Amino acid sequence: MTRKRFVTLTLVPAIGLLATLALVSIAGAVWFAVMNRTLRSPDYDFVGAYNFLRLLRDRRFFNALEISAIWEAVTVAGTLALAVFLAVLIFETVKKPLYRNLICFAFLVPVLLPRVAAAFIWRFLYSPSLGVLNYLCGLVGIGPVEFLADPSLALISVAAVDIWQWGLFFSVILLKLLETLPRDPIEAAMLDNARTWEIHAFVTLPMLRGPLISLALVKAVESLRSFDLIFVMTGGGPGTATETLDLYAYQMGINMGGRISYASAMSLLLLVVTTVAFTIIWKAGKKWAS
Amino acid sequence: MANISCNDIVKSYGAHPVIEGLDLDIPDHEFVVFLGPSGCGKSTMLRMIAGLEEVTGGRIAIGGTDVTDLPPGERGVAMVFQSYALYPHMSVADNITFGLRRQGASRSEIAPRLKQVAELLGLEKFLDRKPKNLSGGQQQRVAMARAMIKTPQVFLFDEPLSNLDAKLREKLRTEIRKIHMQLKTTTIFVTHDQLEAMTIADRIVLMRDGRIEQMGTPDEIYERPATRFVADFIGTPAMNFVSADIAAGDRLIAHGEGMTLELSRSAFPDLAPGQRVELGLRPARMELCTPDTSNAITGRVVLVENMGAEGQVITEVAGREVSFVTQSFRDLSPGDPVSFTISPDHIHVFDSSTGHSLRRN
Ligand SMILES: Nc1ncnc2c1ncn2[C@@H]1O[C@H](COP(=O)(O)OP(=O)(O)OP(=O)(O)O)[C@@H](O)[C@H]1O
Ligand SMILES: [Mg+2]
Repeated sequence: MTRKRFVTLTLVPAIGLLATLALVSIAGAVWFAVMNRTLRSPDYDFVGAYNFLRLLRDRRFFNALEISAIWEAVTVAGTLALAVFLAVLIFETVKKPLYRNLICFAFLVPVLLPRVAAAFIWRFLYSPSLGVLNYLCGLVGIGPVEFLADPSLALISVAAVDIWQWGLFFSVILLKLLETLPRDPIEAAMLDNARTWEIHAFVTLPMLRGPLISLALVKAVESLRSFDLIFVMTGGGPGTATETLDLYAYQMGINMGGRISYASAMSLLLLVVTTVAFTIIWKAGKKWAS
Repeated sequence: MANISCNDIVKSYGAHPVIEGLDLDIPDHEFVVFLGPSGCGKSTMLRMIAGLEEVTGGRIAIGGTDVTDLPPGERGVAMVFQSYALYPHMSVADNITFGLRRQGASRSEIAPRLKQVAELLGLEKFLDRKPKNLSGGQQQRVAMARAMIKTPQVFLFDEPLSNLDAKLREKLRTEIRKIHMQLKTTTIFVTHDQLEAMTIADRIVLMRDGRIEQMGTPDEIYERPATRFVADFIGTPAMNFVSADIAAGDRLIAHGEGMTLELSRSAFPDLAPGQRVELGLRPARMELCTPDTSNAITGRVVLVENMGAEGQVITEVAGREVSFVTQSFRDLSPGDPVSFTISPDHIHVFDSSTGHSLRRN
């Protein structure tokens, strides 16, 4: 009883504060969403569900939704794939603790960079005339490649930066997790004729299933907030090739139109969609991990 | 099935040598136990035979093939670990068949073999469970099934029973022995439990500091320990050691620490008068007697330890403790004067400086 009271007493203030903050901003968004406010004029009227209905007819909104979904899938899958690949590679090839630690340290640097800084660095690397990447492409006789200006490449090019930052970081985490695994099952698998990749595919990675799912969820949440990276690198362009929902909401609400109410409606829809999607993923992940 | 031969094996971690020039030949079908105190290199030796550890020097051959440079999977060995080392996320059936599946065996080939080993080890009921839902003994059986299904040339066990309680340990020990009699696969079994070694082994390899101290059948090791170390290591309660000098005279007599004991001339023909030796007296070979019996040792009871059918009596003889085992321990209580005797045939004599046995036949 006393323990329960203690838990209640200590949790209530923090949860209360968070709930208030969340509810106030959501309530504000709802308030805006049912009006027709714009930044240009102080007048506004109640318009009910008009903004939401307009959204459903907005082709650019659905394009942004699609780009967001692709962005999530590519960055989460890419980050984990790179992390798993590098972690296993280092685990198998670099045995000296000193070298391992040096590599880990180097791998931590990208994620420590402010994202805007990373974005500028890569914009430069991707540059058609000055960039190193195009210089390398030139050496093998292709290019110049318009990494950020080609609509079919732009999203992947930006995602590559995100994967570079987070994949290297996650590979450090995974390497440390691999090191904590008991040696015996790995050795048993070696005696069981498993090749190196089979040991990892069938023994070590399944043993790390729980942490891997957690990492995927963390990355999925993190990927929702990549506004700054995309904004600096492409600003949503070329055209709308890299315009995710948050960029579109920004363009509508602040940059071009100043249509605050429309952008609020979009944010609310985004909130609902992500909440539903994450609940489903979370449930599925938990079931799978057990 | 195969013999194992290890030739001049050296293993060192950095500059620190763990195994120094070890030679070992194990014939086909034999059940060999590596026995020795903690840290003497038993596991290291076993892991080198399995290929989990590289040798620093020397060659290892299994069944006549040099396997020194082969990876573990290609040596035809199967190993059972102390920690069981099951794959935690796989069912028991998947655990057992993992190795066969990696070898690319077909489903129709695997199923009957799985059924066979599961029956042999009483695991039929558990095939769908995860390892964490099994008791320690059941997990160990799964580990054994996983080793057996591959029909390896050699079984390696690294202290497989030491995480189990005494009763289960005894039961599984018997089972392992029975399975060996059935399959006759060459087996190396590591333990630091001398009783386990004595009961299960065809031959014991007693190790100390990375060297073989003595190799022989359990009887040889027990009755004819080659060194004081072996004599001390084997047998419970532990052997009593007494410093003594050989006396001059017709009969072979040793004096020391309040005892006068006659030794067997035929077993120790080289002992010379005045020689300093160490006598080894097994508690289990001594018996209560009257004070005037030959080879009687007289002292005072300090403590009586009840072991069920027998009791260990710890006595004080000339200021030092000597223990012996008797069935009539219930008549004794602390403070009583007591006499006990040992036949000359059962007294061991060791060189007091080198520790080598001075027995000649
Ligand atoms: N990776 C290692 N690095 C350095 N020294 C090691 C390593 N592994 C083992 N040793 C040393 O090698 C020696 C033998 O170890 P080993 O594990 O073979 O002993 P053991 O006879 O199996 O002992 P136990 O009965 O306690 O299992 C020990 O002194 C140990 O400290
Ligand atoms: Mg060991």
